Amino acid sequence: MIRNEDYPNIKPTPDSEEPVVVDAELALDTSRDPDSDEYLLIVTGNTQDTEAFSRLFQRYSSKIYAMGMKLTRNEQLSKDLVQEAMLNVWRKARLYDLDRGSAQSWIFTMTRNRCFDMLRKIKRQPNCLTADDIWPRESGAETGFLNEDALHEEKGSLAAEASIIAGYCGKLPKLQQDVIEQIYILDRTHEEAAAILEIPLGTLKSRLRLGISRLKLLIGVDQ
Amino acid sequence: MNTDLDCHPTTEILKGYVQGSLPTGWSVALSAHLELCQNCKQQYQDLESDAAQYWPHDSTDQGTQEFSDLVANIINQPQGDSSDVSVSGESPIAEIHMLDHSFTLPRILAKAANEGLVWKKLSGGINQAKLNIDTETQCEFIYMSPGSQTPMHKHQGNEITLVLDGSFSDASGTYEPADFIVRSGKDEHQPISEEGCLCFAVLDSPLTFTKGIARLFNPVNRYRFRNTIVQKP
Repeated sequence: MIRNEDYPNIKPTPDSEEPVVVDAELALDTSRDPDSDEYLLIVTGNTQDTEAFSRLFQRYSSKIYAMGMKLTRNEQLSKDLVQEAMLNVWRKARLYDLDRGSAQSWIFTMTRNRCFDMLRKIKRQPNCLTADDIWPRESGAETGFLNEDALHEEKGSLAAEASIIAGYCGKLPKLQQDVIEQIYILDRTHEEAAAILEIPLGTLKSRLRLGISRLKLLIGVDQ
Repeated sequence: MNTDLDCHPTTEILKGYVQGSLPTGWSVALSAHLELCQNCKQQYQDLESDAAQYWPHDSTDQGTQEFSDLVANIINQPQGDSSDVSVSGESPIAEIHMLDHSFTLPRILAKAANEGLVWKKLSGGINQAKLNIDTETQCEFIYMSPGSQTPMHKHQGNEITLVLDGSFSDASGTYEPADFIVRSGKDEHQPISEEGCLCFAVLDSPLTFTKGIARLFNPVNRYRFRNTIVQKP
């Protein structure tokens, strides 16, 4: 007889509350260096800086091409991959999250994932699964907490309680405090706050989400 | 989780997963295992971080010139289109019901089973539900009813078995939830399950039964596999 309670360790583990710290500390350190990939990616996302994007393109096209050749062994497909992956970098730059790792890690996983999806499409594999389902990190970064509507809703319910929030804010880690202050106390938009703090929008949102859930715990609001 | 036997993916397999060079069926099994095993998940994250850090350039230097034209095409496209925020709804199927209990699937398997499972009774108390994931592997859920026993068999290619619920044993030992077992073509085994067992299995090629009457089914088995792999979506 199988009883579920005999196997407590096999329930899917929920996404951890804290960001994955792989090379995140390194990324945080270097993000102020105007020549770093992190800085270029942040500027690309926050201000649509085409010069910064061109430099990223120069740095990464040959790496992406190399990965394409390794996985597809086809020159044309590898060139297509450069186009596809860099278009994703351009479109999603604002979703990059500094707290989750280096720009190079972010572009690496994005390239691998786009290559996977591209190959499956060419081989006419069933479209039940995408790379973002299979490799958990990128899917975590692109879905769920980046849902704009959910965050706006939270903003509404929390805005009325700004004074209470301000009182509890001091108990949050500094990075989360900064973000909460910009959004809820100074009433800035996400885009404005990201630009002022010089962090990617993706990082702002993940810190906001972590800050809010911690605040809710402190204040005692049901999740 | 089994700590005596080596029931985790090797570093080589994890590297293949990081690089995206494995057949999809294998990657699905790994994704599910990482959801159940924190140690392997940590190892995967370290390997991915390394792979990104030592990401090689193309040595032929082909293209960087040619590619520079493409920048202009890209920056004319709008940033942050609606596809960035994909709807992250839960898959309708997240649980498998068997006999008197249900089991919550790892996320990737719930997604793969999204279109529904059709269970088929095989001999010896074995139940099978196939998943159409890719054309290089055959992926299936296997549910061994309590007290079931498969015929002695070996494999032509590799077989990955991920234990999800319950347990089974063979000559090498007993396997428990989250165990990731790889069998190669030369292994011959006869799994039995006293308490019942739900597994996710990925096969490179059809099983070759090596004992008794089950042998007669070999050609059929191969034929069925061929049908699976040539099936167009």
